[in-house]
Amino acid sequence: MPLPRLGYDNLGLGVGLRSTHFDYILKNQPEVDWFEVISENFIDSQGRPRYVLQQIAERYPVVMHGVSLSIGSTDPLDFEYLGKLKRLARETNAQWISDHLCWTGILGRNTHDLLPVPFTEATLRHVVERVRTLQDFLERPFVLENPSSYITFQDSTMDEWEFISRMAEEADCGLLLDVNNVYVSSFNHDMDPDQFIRSLPHERIVQFHLAGHANYTKYIIDTHDNHVVDPVWDLYRTAHQLTGGVSTLLEWDANIPPFPVVHAEVLKAKRFMGEHLEPAAAAPETEPAMAPGEGETVFHPLHQILAEVE
Amino acid sequence: MSERGSSRSLDVVQRWFQAVVTHPDGVEGGVESEEAQRLIRLNRSELEAVIGRSRNLTAAERMGIYANAYYARLLECLASFFPVLQKALGEEVFEGFAFEYLQHYPSKSYTLDRLGESFARFLAETRPEPEEGEEPGAVGWPDFLIDLTVFEWNLNQVFDGPGVEGKPLLTAERLQSFPAERFAEARLVPVPCLRLLAFRFPVNAYYTAARHAGEGKEAPIPDPAPEYVALTRRDFVVRRFPLNAAQHALLEKILVGAPVGEAIAAAAEISGLDDEALGAELQAWFRLWVAEGFFQSID
Repeated sequence: MPLPRLGYDNLGLGVGLRSTHFDYILKNQPEVDWFEVISENFIDSQGRPRYVLQQIAERYPVVMHGVSLSIGSTDPLDFEYLGKLKRLARETNAQWISDHLCWTGILGRNTHDLLPVPFTEATLRHVVERVRTLQDFLERPFVLENPSSYITFQDSTMDEWEFISRMAEEADCGLLLDVNNVYVSSFNHDMDPDQFIRSLPHERIVQFHLAGHANYTKYIIDTHDNHVVDPVWDLYRTAHQLTGGVSTLLEWDANIPPFPVVHAEVLKAKRFMGEHLEPAAAAPETEPAMAPGEGETVFHPLHQILAEVE
Repeated sequence: MSERGSSRSLDVVQRWFQAVVTHPDGVEGGVESEEAQRLIRLNRSELEAVIGRSRNLTAAERMGIYANAYYARLLECLASFFPVLQKALGEEVFEGFAFEYLQHYPSKSYTLDRLGESFARFLAETRPEPEEGEEPGAVGWPDFLIDLTVFEWNLNQVFDGPGVEGKPLLTAERLQSFPAERFAEARLVPVPCLRLLAFRFPVNAYYTAARHAGEGKEAPIPDPAPEYVALTRRDFVVRRFPLNAAQHALLEKILVGAPVGEAIAAAAEISGLDDEALGAELQAWFRLWVAEGFFQSID
């Protein structure tokens, strides 16, 4: 039986590092437990992004979160990319490296989206083998996240939680449980999010993600552009109880508010860590329902850093 | 959820999925495209044989979420790389060019940072033929767009490319103390972020005007005129320096590692100045360039 969190540290309540907050963080050195960085924004950088990351990694624990691993693709693993991940992890002393249970493209292309895989025995064998290969290569803890998805394949022969559980056991990797993604996918696929979370191997959950989403009534898009809604906090409470508490990270990628607002959002998690939570203490947000197309935000798995020109 | 699954391989499913969601005519066009049909033969009404429906959405509607997001996301990224080009063209026309571009040059990199690297080439490849009455090879509006694209792309490259922040640079004192008799044979080592650009339109001046024009206002499109620009980076911010033709010729030689004397000769040929006047100019140029951190050292 693995140790809780596979024995890795509970880093506390962290925030996803975004370029719009670079100046604020460097100047104010806010009391944040840890930062998660989007790996692809930094692995090639020879300019300000890399410099800022070096400063932050000296002061805070850092975790690297990628969006281009494409672990589920039938294209070969990109070892040039993996080599860059490994170097950056060494440079920042990343506590672990994560990416998504998805594929991003095939035939050499990258759609820059987190595309779903069919949950079959063949996919499971394929993913497990690749996770083992890259874990050997990275020589650093590796965790995989459940993505938000908008379709299901008729070919699937098992539920997502069964696939994830077996994958984690067979590949011996950690899990990044994105609580908002559980909620989004469960809504989109008529699943029970509570059952999803209860069915996972909780000792393998190393990290949580929280984020806001856009509810278009008939479907939900994982936009990371808003506060975390109450039903997601409820699921977080459950996940916290089942795991005993793991590193928790808030992602905010569009319509990003000032840093203190983002930080305050993740600090709300403290309210859901008690055994006997008073409902009145819950976050006040309710589900903002929107008409299709209204206030449309396109989810960017890879947050862009814009050039600074005098 | 199927009991036994199908005989379709993961590879086939992924190639089909990608063909469908990246098709320029949307999901229906994608499903019926030759590529998708070769992989999974079905008509649009049979999509639910591959993709499940939900309580609220059909299989086609669900696939549409991925298809819409694919172009929307990449178009947004391209616009952020080329904000002034987008402003010059207007959102709709820019989107039209970018949409075509993404079909000819889809991303093949793990990073979005390379998404725009072939945009200028694409615009040049698809440049319209000269109109009737126009001389072949005449500089026109499409060349302005191409030049502006090259310019903005270089700004992005200099911003996140190699730099010299925190590293020693050539100082005015070092340059002044360099033995005069060895100067012509010496080589100035440029900083790695120094880029020289030559344009058919004054796109650097246009870039400045467009940025100052404010939201919703347009800068006038300039007439063709040669423009030379040096880009570099200091304190992680990209700096732009307009050059004249002689300065450009001189720095171009230095950038390829030619001795200073050869570089000065190239400038002299273009400048049309006598030796004395050119000498005075050269002193001022080098003073400025050293102060702006164009060089790492002199050997």
